[in-house]
Parts: sequence; C-alpha cells; structure tokens
Amino acid sequence: MTKKKWAMLKLVGLLAGVVALPVLVGGCSAGSSTASKGGTLTYWSPYGGDSLKWDQWRIGQFQKANPDVTVNLIATPSGGITNGKLLAAIAGGDAPDIIISDNASAAYSFAANGTATPWDMSKVTLKIADLLPGMQPVTQINGKTYLLPQDSNVIMLYMNTKLFQEAGLDVNNPPKTIDDLDAMAAKLDSISGGNIQRFGFIPWLDYGGDNAFYWPWMFGATVYDTSSGKLDLTSPQMVSVYKWMNKYAQKTSPTTMKGFTSGFGALFSPDHPFMTGKVAMTVVGNWFTNALRIYAPTIQYAVAKVPAPEGGRAGGTVFQSNVYLLPKGAKRLDLAYRFYNFCETTPILANDFDIWRSIPTNDKQFDEVSWTKKGDPIYKIERELANSPNSGTPALTKVAAELGDDLNALRDDVIYNNRDPLPLLQSLQDKYTKELAQ
Amino acid sequence: MLKARRNQINGLLFVSPWIVGFLVFITYPVLASLYYSLTKYDVIHPPEFRGLGNYLDLILRDDVFRIALLNTLYMIVVGTVVITVVTITIAIVLNNRQIRGLSVFRVVFFIPTLVPLVILCIVWIWILQPQTGLLNTCLSYVGIRGPGWLADPRLAKPAFIMMFLWTSGGAVIIYLAGLQDIPETLYEVASIDGAGFLRRTFTITVPLLSPVILFNVVTYVIGIFQSFAESFIITSGGPDRSTLFYSLYLYQNAFQYFKMGLASAMAWILLIIAALFIAILLGLERRFGYRQ
Amino acid sequence: MAVIGRLRRARYLERGELVVTVTLLGALSVVYIVPFIWMALSSLKLPQELFIVPMRWFPKKLEFSNYARMFREFPFLLDLRNTMILVVVNIVSAVLSNTFIAYGFSKIEWKGREPLFYVVLATIILPFQVVMIPLFIMFHTFHWIGTFFPLTVPGFFGNAFFIFLLRQFYLSIPNELSYAAKIDGANEFMIYSRIVLPLSSAAIATVVIFSFLRTWNDFIGPLIFLSDNRLYTLSLGAQQIMQNLDPKWDLLLTLGVVMTFPVLVLFFLLQKYFIQGIAMSGIKG
Repeated sequence: MTKKKWAMLKLVGLLAGVVALPVLVGGCSAGSSTASKGGTLTYWSPYGGDSLKWDQWRIGQFQKANPDVTVNLIATPSGGITNGKLLAAIAGGDAPDIIISDNASAAYSFAANGTATPWDMSKVTLKIADLLPGMQPVTQINGKTYLLPQDSNVIMLYMNTKLFQEAGLDVNNPPKTIDDLDAMAAKLDSISGGNIQRFGFIPWLDYGGDNAFYWPWMFGATVYDTSSGKLDLTSPQMVSVYKWMNKYAQKTSPTTMKGFTSGFGALFSPDHPFMTGKVAMTVVGNWFTNALRIYAPTIQYAVAKVPAPEGGRAGGTVFQSNVYLLPKGAKRLDLAYRFYNFCETTPILANDFDIWRSIPTNDKQFDEVSWTKKGDPIYKIERELANSPNSGTPALTKVAAELGDDLNALRDDVIYNNRDPLPLLQSLQDKYTKELAQ
Repeated sequence: MLKARRNQINGLLFVSPWIVGFLVFITYPVLASLYYSLTKYDVIHPPEFRGLGNYLDLILRDDVFRIALLNTLYMIVVGTVVITVVTITIAIVLNNRQIRGLSVFRVVFFIPTLVPLVILCIVWIWILQPQTGLLNTCLSYVGIRGPGWLADPRLAKPAFIMMFLWTSGGAVIIYLAGLQDIPETLYEVASIDGAGFLRRTFTITVPLLSPVILFNVVTYVIGIFQSFAESFIITSGGPDRSTLFYSLYLYQNAFQYFKMGLASAMAWILLIIAALFIAILLGLERRFGYRQ
Repeated sequence: MAVIGRLRRARYLERGELVVTVTLLGALSVVYIVPFIWMALSSLKLPQELFIVPMRWFPKKLEFSNYARMFREFPFLLDLRNTMILVVVNIVSAVLSNTFIAYGFSKIEWKGREPLFYVVLATIILPFQVVMIPLFIMFHTFHWIGTFFPLTVPGFFGNAFFIFLLRQFYLSIPNELSYAAKIDGANEFMIYSRIVLPLSSAAIATVVIFSFLRTWNDFIGPLIFLSDNRLYTLSLGAQQIMQNLDPKWDLLLTLGVVMTFPVLVLFFLLQKYFIQGIAMSGIKG
C-alpha cells in the first residue's frame, strides 16, 4: 500500500516535471521577463479537514515540480468568499493570486460583482468548448471567462436495498418520475398512528434542503435567466415544488418529521437517518458514498438518477463544482496560471477523482478515471448525469446567496404553517426584482 | 492653583489611553456606522448615499427584520421573567445561613458559565437531540416522550432560554452578594411580626434587591441583543426562522449578503432600542424601586 | 439551650424544611452538573457508541485514544498556540492599560473626571454590533483583517469593565499613603507604580482572570477578523470543524473537555477572584 503510494508520488513528480517544462520554456520563449521568475504564490483554499490535507499534498507536488515557487496556502474553511474576508482582502489591496471556491454559485455572484479578473484563455490548456455543456455557463460573465472548474460533483438518489425489498420494491427499478417517487415513498413509509418507524422519502433532507435551487432546477424552473436577466420565482414549476414538499410535510407534521430525522445535519455521522434506516431514500451528492463507506459500511444500497416531473429536468443534476477564480488585484498572475495548469494535470486530477469520487469537467477524462476502468456502476451514473443536457448550475446571479436563504425560509414557512406558496413567492419576486434593478 | 492644574494634566495623562481608544474604537465607529447606515455599501464599491432608504426598507418592507425583532423581544420578555425568577429563587435559598456554608452549591450553579461559548453550543446541540439527546433521555426516565426541540418552531426559543438559564450562574452570584447586604435584623423583626417566608420575600427581599435585579436584567437584555453565536452555530436561525435573532440577521446582512449599509442601519436601530429599553427599566426602578 | 433558641429564631428554616430545601437544591445541582459528567464520559466513547439509541451513560471501554486522535486529526496545538498568544498579549495589555487608566479615574482630582467616568460606564452596555461593521472596514484599510491586530491592539487602550473594577478597588485604598509619599517628593507615576499597584494584586488577579476568559471564549472577534486557518483560535477552530464535511462529532466533545478543563481548574484554584469579579460588577454599580 505504502509502496504503491510512494511509486505513485514519484510518478506524479515526474509527470509534473514534464508538464512544468513546456511552461518554463514557453515562458522564456515568449520573452516575458516575469513569466518564469519564481516567487511566492498566495492561494486561498476553501477546504478544511481531510480535503485540506489533500490540498496540502497537491501543493507539495506543485512545489516539488516548481522549486522556485513558494505557495502561501491560506485555508479559509469558513468560506473566504461567503463571509467577506476575500472582499476585505481585495478592497485592502491584499488580494491573493488565485483562489478555489467549493461553491460555484457563490463564486459566480462574487465575480459578477466585479471583484475578479478574467482568465486569459491563451495561457491555459483548457478550452471552454471541451467542458461538459452543462458546466460552461457558470464560467462566463458578459462574454468573459471568470471561473474555471477544477472538478465537479453530481446529485443522486440513494436507496436502501433491504428496505426496498421489505416493501416489495426493487432498487433496480428506481422511480422514473416524481409520481413514482411519491408512490414508492408511500410504500416505504412506516407510520402507524403516532408511532413512526420510517419515512420513505423526505424532499428537504440532505441536498434537497441544503441547496434551495436544487428542486426548482429539477422541476424545470428557471429561477434566473442569466442571458435576459429575468428573475422568475412565480412560475408554475416553482409553485409545484413547494406544494409537492408540503404534501410530504402534511403526511404527519413537519415538526414530527424533523424531530424524527434530525441528527446533526451531517452526512458523516453514524446517526444519519439513511444510515439508521429512518429514511429509505435520500437525495445527496456523490460524496455520500464515502460517508457510507466510513460510517455505515454494512448498509446495502443502490444509486439512481433523481426523478423529475413532466416538464422538469429529468436525467439531469445540479453541478456542485469547485472553481478557480483570479481575484481583482492579484499580483502574481503568472504564478497563478502555473499553479492552475499544474493542478489540471492528469496525475493530480486522477488522485482527486480516486479519493473523492468527484467527476472530471470534460467527458473524455472520464475514461482515465480508475472508477471508470473498474466499471464502477455508480460512477457510470455520475458520468451520464454529467453529460445530460439537463445538468447545470442554477441561479447564476449576484443575489444567489440571500435568495437561497430566503427560499429555504419560504419552504419552512410553507411546510410548517401549511401556507400557499404563490403569495410568498410573489413577495420574494417583488423584493428581488427591486434589488436586481438597483 | 498650581496643584489643581498639575492634577488636571496628570489626570488627563493617566486616562489618555482610554480617551484615544474611546475616540478610535468607539466614537469613530459609532459615527461611521451612522454614516454607513445612510448608504448602500458592499466594501468593494464606494458607498452610495441613499438617505433614510435603509431604515425605511427595514421598518416598512423587510418581513425578516420584523421576525428577527419579534424573536428577540420574545427572548427578552419571556427569558427575563423565567431567568430572573429562577436565579433569585436559587440565590434566596442559597443565602439561608444553614445552607450558605455549603458553598459547593454556589460552585455548581456557577461553573456552567465557564464553558466556552462554542463548546456550550456543541454540548447543547447534543443535549437537545430528539433521540440520543441528554434532555429527552432523562425525560424518558419519567415516562415523557421528549419532542424535537430544535425541529419545532414553537419549542426552539424555549430551548434557547433553557440554555441561557443553565449559564446564568453569574446572576445567582450577584444576587447572593446583594442579599448579603440586606441586614439580617429586618428579617428578624418581620419574623417576630409573624411574617411568613413568602411575605418576607416580597416585602423585604425583592424591594431591597431591586437595584441588583435591575442590573441583572439590563445585563441579560444587552446579552440577548448581542447574542449571536448560539443561533449562528446551533440552528442558523431555523426552523422556520424561529431562532433568527437580531444580531444573527445583522451579521448575515453584513457578512453574507455584503449589505454593510443596511446592517449599519440595523446596528443603529439596535442602539436606539437598547437605549430605550434601558431607559424604561431605569424609569421603572426610579418609580417603583426601593430607596434608602 | 438559650443560645441555640436565639439562633433558631434568626434562621428561618425548621429541620424538616431544611431537609426538603437541601434535597431540592441537590436535585437542581444534579441538573446543572449532569451535562459536564455526560460530556466527560462521552469524550471517551467511540462514535458508534455515542450515537446509540437509547443513550448509554457509560462507555463500554474507556476510549482514551480519542484524546490522542484529537491531537492528530484537529490542528489542536496550532489553535492552542494562537489562543495562548492572544491570551498572553491581552492579559498584559489589560493589566498595563487599565491599572494606569483607573488611577486617573480615582486617585487624582481633576475637572471632568466624573462625567467622563459615566461615559466609561455607558460604553459597557454598548452592543458590539454597533461598532462591528465600521471596525471591520477600518481594520481592512489598515490591512489588519486576517491578522491578530484587531484582536489585540484595542486592549491596550483600556476596557470599561476593567477600569470600573480597578477604580472601585483603588477607591478603597486610603489616600493617606499617597499624601505621605507626595510629601516625600513622589510624583503620581511613582505613587501609581510603587504604592497603588502593589496593593492591588487582588483586583489585578480578577482582571487577569476575566481577560483570560474573554479571550479564551471569544468567538465573534476571531470569526470576523481572522481568515487564515493557521491563525484560528480554539473557539473558531472548533466551530470550523463543525462545518467540515466530516465533523467528527465524537472528537468535538473531546475537544470540548480539553477546552473546558483548564477554565475549571483555574476556577477552583482562584475561586475567590472569580466570585469577587462577578459580584463586584453587580452590587457596587
């Protein structure tokens, strides 16, 4: 195991050297005086915990291949983008040279506010046209490229095999439509009087609750049309999302449901309701596979594409991407490009995909990933989802953060108080129309 | 004459660090905050003047602001009553001379205040868990099936009050100190007159303690207006915005939505409300409080 | 007999009442103390045991390795170092500045002293939220966001509560001592440093303790002003771990014990000063 790892590290170093060489040569031949000069690269990473350890490994590889560069890693797991620190750094003239954000939507609104520098696409190996089609819009603002994806994640339906069998269902026959999902959920429910043993499905558990734009996307709503700048919160699809959720809530009561399922809100803990069998299906990103491996190794489960209603984005997903961004005022753009190009080399990415089960940003790269080579069935679904024309990143607008919070609060309002969503959506529509006009 | 002048210079010299700090870290920010409150400001772009727009938006149009304000008022009104009654009761009992020697009790009520804030939040997340939680486990011993405290919009605020009660040992200590200043002879006289425990409490203890009560209530109210970490860490304001308190919404506006101007207007409204509250409390004290 | 009778009248609980009261107090104490016991026990459980329903009080096996794991998996030592740097700087600055400032507010007669002191008191109740945003903006123009400066520099300019505390204490020191020193030719600074300070060790101890507690527990300050996780304090670090994809809840409780324990030890060693500080804040104001 260790030997293999060591061999791989050596290989990575070698490959990195090979990759770095043309960059160096290219820099010299271009006659640029700064391109090949070393120095300190300030890089803000969004990761904490194990992801941060992985990022540190990556930086180690980079420095080995680029001995003239010192990386000043600033880890901001609290979200440098989402809590004002990066804004302060940019406004104060202390901008880092490159950052990665694990929240593409937040990064987009950040860049849309005029706080980023566009990428010079002649200096990177990546072509926007090579990206998965669903991943292209998030990279562009007003015809310029501001965000480059590192990798992405997709959202899937996880099903408990044993509970399916007990209910006379088959995980190989997953729900295709929302009606299927509802019917299966009802079969999987185990609610007798006040005594609850299990819910078949809860729409707002996990990703469906974390990302306020997920279900609207799957239901076919276009919350914000980036090209026309039109906000549409009151579409029939939006209304049906919340009416549908409320149908689940009124099965018993949202209080009971939340009380029954509330663990720690964390996927990585053995009391996650899917792991304890309290819910039979849940919608969550591919990272959940890793959580199940660690905290519920014995559970049998299968994975399928999340169903969508008619007129919805069936077979699609919301991309949960990690993106690179060059902040406004970055001083060592030359090093930032070097770092970016290095991180996009195959050995680094392969390691990323191996460990985190995340997905590449273009289809061809899938062939190289070990999971594909091993014929992993879940990864095959991930690939199909990634290629779907119905996949993308919703709500590319500068107000996405606040709008997301407001939509989640609206959902609570609907399900806890059994309210009609339309007037609530209308008042949000008014609020944000005004805000976007400013 | 010369001495007075030297004293003037020396006095100002000694307090000068405070004066500098007061000007830089308090006066300037308070005034700057007033200025920002009249603008639209996101740190990156220069402030854009919009008069009273932020205030009008908050008061007339922002439903979330109203919810946050009402949540905070709930915590103040209900929390003040509950916590004051419980802490005074504990203090009165502890002040009994036969028990006073048992300083172990005093320690017990005090040590929860020593738990670091973030750890307090972590521990209470566990205490309030519906299934594995400490509170519901203990309730189950007496046959009660405990609810999902933080899953129910009606119970989340009471759960927070329980948490605040657990950490209000400081108030107990302050009440105890106040009680020890009440002359024992008053009670003896009252006892001879045949006054029972309750009557002694309401005719002697509470009136004589009123300045201390006022102090503790003011401290608690200020604490509630400022309380941020608890709801930020434990509930992020949910469920159904039932624990979205004033300071949390202010923080969100400032550092998550980058509406520094709007958040500054909230800060000023907070300042005015807090000042009014304290003025009312002081007025009540002046009108009904005990004077020697 | 006569003596006991008189005493009994002065107390107001009969033996039966006393038993009831002590029992109730005991029960209430248990309620207050149980979370500590639970936390200590849980810090020794494996995650599988921690999440068991119904809850189990005692771990099957005392998993002391949790503590070693916590050191390994959390950046505990780094966060501890950061916290200690802030603690030390803030204690030193609090003692230096406040003992000095309080002298000016108590031992020297000058015009405007009392009104200014009321201003000091008023700032105690100023909510931090009112100054938070301008401070953030001001510190960013100083290039201080992401450094320790916002969390340390203000401490050198006095703290209203500490000034108040020390002033009350100074007022109880008889002025005769300073008169005598003045006749001997001592200036105010000499009186401050050679007479008043040495006599104030009890009050200074209280300032040290409270300054420690404030820094040790502070959450919103580091949250707003720090960005790099290499500078995180224990409190902010603990909260950040909760945001991780895999927060490792069992180790968070271990961390909770480790963060609470020193405060408790300090309390039991220096109880007098804790209680004194708290009580002072209430009655003499």
